[in-house]
Amino acid sequence: MENRNILFGLYDDEQVLMDAVREAKEDDLDILDVYTPFPVHGLDPILGLAESRLHVVGFLFGCVGALTAFLGMSWIFTDEWPMIIGGKPYWSVPAFIPITFEITVLFASIGMVVVFYAVNGLTPRTHTEVLHPRITDDKFAIAFDTSHATEDEIKQLKSFFERSGAEVHIKE
Amino acid sequence: MKEAIQFQFTSRQKIFLSGFMGLGVLCMIIILFTDGAAAPRFWSNFLLNTVFFTGIAFIALFAISAMVTAYSGWHTVFKRLWEAYSQFLLVGLILMIIVIIGLFGNFHHLYHWADAASVEADEILQGKSGFLNKGFYTIATLVTIGVWYYFARQMRALSIEEDEVAFGDFSIYKRLKKYAAAFLPIGAVTSAIVIWLWVMSVDAHWYSTLFAWYATSSWFVAMIALSILMLTYLRSLGYFPNVSVEHMHDLGKYLFGFSVFWAYLWFSQFMLIWYGNIGEETIYFNNQRSNYPILFYGNLIINFVAPFFILIRNDTKRKRGTMVLASALVLVGHWADFFLMIKPGVLHTYHEVVGHGDGHSMLGTASEQSARLVADAGHSAETASNFVSGFTIPGLLDIGVFLGFLAFFTYFVFMQLSKARLQPTGDPFIGESIHHHV
Repeated sequence: MENRNILFGLYDDEQVLMDAVREAKEDDLDILDVYTPFPVHGLDPILGLAESRLHVVGFLFGCVGALTAFLGMSWIFTDEWPMIIGGKPYWSVPAFIPITFEITVLFASIGMVVVFYAVNGLTPRTHTEVLHPRITDDKFAIAFDTSHATEDEIKQLKSFFERSGAEVHIKE
Repeated sequence: MKEAIQFQFTSRQKIFLSGFMGLGVLCMIIILFTDGAAAPRFWSNFLLNTVFFTGIAFIALFAISAMVTAYSGWHTVFKRLWEAYSQFLLVGLILMIIVIIGLFGNFHHLYHWADAASVEADEILQGKSGFLNKGFYTIATLVTIGVWYYFARQMRALSIEEDEVAFGDFSIYKRLKKYAAAFLPIGAVTSAIVIWLWVMSVDAHWYSTLFAWYATSSWFVAMIALSILMLTYLRSLGYFPNVSVEHMHDLGKYLFGFSVFWAYLWFSQFMLIWYGNIGEETIYFNNQRSNYPILFYGNLIINFVAPFFILIRNDTKRKRGTMVLASALVLVGHWADFFLMIKPGVLHTYHEVVGHGDGHSMLGTASEQSARLVADAGHSAETASNFVSGFTIPGLLDIGVFLGFLAFFTYFVFMQLSKARLQPTGDPFIGESIHHHV
C-alpha cells in the first residue's frame, strides 16, 4: 500500500460493529473497509457491497473444462488414436462423462483461485499489512481513509468512534 | 389480516381440492372401464401414485429426523409442514393394503413373481421366491409403513407437546432426539427393502444394487419440490410469516443439490450396466431407450439439466418465479421418473401372463378380448416405438390421476396443518430459525 493515513476503530462485538456500520452509513461517512476475524452474516448488504462475480468466473471455467475434456476425448478416441476398449464404440459418450465431470471441477476450481489471486493482486511476494494484529483474532474494525481529510472531518470521525464505543487507532 | 398462527382450511380450498380429487377418481373409473382384464393401467397408476406420495411422506419424516439429529435449526419455522406430510403414511398404509388385497385376490398382474404359473415355469423366479413372495411382501410392507407411521405420530405428538413447555426446558427435545436418531438407520434399511418390493420387483428378472438409493433420491427431490410449492402458496396467503427468503434459498439449495445427486445415481446405475454389458442387465435400459425414448431422455432433461441450469445462480434460488418453475418441473419430472420405473415392468409382466392367452382360463370372453388388445398394444410397444398413451407415455388420464392424488395429498396435509400451530414455540431452535441467514 502507498502512503495512506488510515483511521480505524476497534470493536469487541460484531453486533456493536453492525450497529456502528449502519450509523456510519446513515451519517454518509465514507468507509474504506471493515475488517473482521470471521465472516459476519448480514454485513455485506449494510455496507452496500455488490455480490461477488467470482462464481460467474467459476461457471465459465467449468464450461471451458467440460468442452476441453469432452471434445478432447471425442477427437482422440475417434480420430487421433482410436482404441477399442471393452468392445465399445469409439465414441462412447457414457464413458466420457466421469472424466468430463472431473475436468470441469478441476478447471472451475483452479480458474477461480487464479482469478481471485489476480484480481486481488496477490502474488507470492505480496506483503499485506495488517492494521492491527487483533483483527485476526477477536476484534472488529471499521477503517477510514484520512489521507486527504481535513481536521474537521477527522474530528467528526473520531466523535463517531467515541459514540459507537470503539477504540481509536491511526495507521500511517 | 387473519391470525397467521393457526392455519384455516377454507371451504374454497376444500371445494377446489375436492374438485381435483373428483377428477382423479373420474380418471381412475374411466381407466378401469377402458382397461383390459386385470386392469394393468388402472393398477399400475394406483401403485405409481401410492408409492410416489407415500415416499414423499416418508422422506419428510426422514428429513425431520436428519435435521433433529444434526442439531439443525433452519427448518424449525416450517417443520409443521413436514410433520403434516409424514402423517400421510397412514393413508399410504391403507393404499398399500389395497394393493396387497389385489395381490392375494389375483386382481392385478403387477408382479410377475406373484403369478404361480409363471414361477413354476421359471427357474430365476423360483430362485428369488424366498424374497419375492406374497407373504414377505405383505409382512414387509405392513411392518415398514406401520413402523414409519408410529415414528411420524410420536414425533409430531412430541413436537406439539413441546409448544406447551416453558422455554429452555429440553426434556421433550431430548426425547424427540432419541426418536430421530433411532429412525435414521431404521428408515434407511426399510426404505430400501420396500423399494425393492414395491418398485424394482415389477421387473422380476432384473435387479440393480443402486436402485433403492436412486428411487429414494427421486422421492427426496420430489418432497423438497412439493415443500417449496406449498410454502410459496401458504406464504402468499400470509401464513408462515417467519419463513423468509433465506429459508427458501436453503430449500432451493436442497432442490439443486439433490437433483444433481439424483443424476449422479441415475448415471452411476446406467454406466455400470452399460459398461458391464451383461444381457440380462442391459435389457432394462435397452427397452427404455428404444420403447420409451421421450421419458428416457426427458427424464434427464427435466430432472437434471433444467434444475441445474435454472438453480445454479444464487439469485434464482431467492426469486419466487424461478423457484416455482423449477419445483413444478421437477415434481412432475420425478413422478414421470417413477412412471418409467413401474410401467415397462408391469407391461412386460402383463404381456407374459395374459398376452399369450392360453394360460389363464379365469378370463371371460369379452374381457379376454380386451386383455389381448392391451397386451398387444404392450407387445407392439416392446417391438416398435409407437407410443401407447398410458403405457409408454403418460396419457391425459394418467395425469388426471396424478392431479387427483396430488389434491388428495394436499387436502390431507392442510387438514393436518389446521390441527396445530403453524410455528412451533417450544423448540429450542426456533430463535435461531427465525433469524436464519444464509
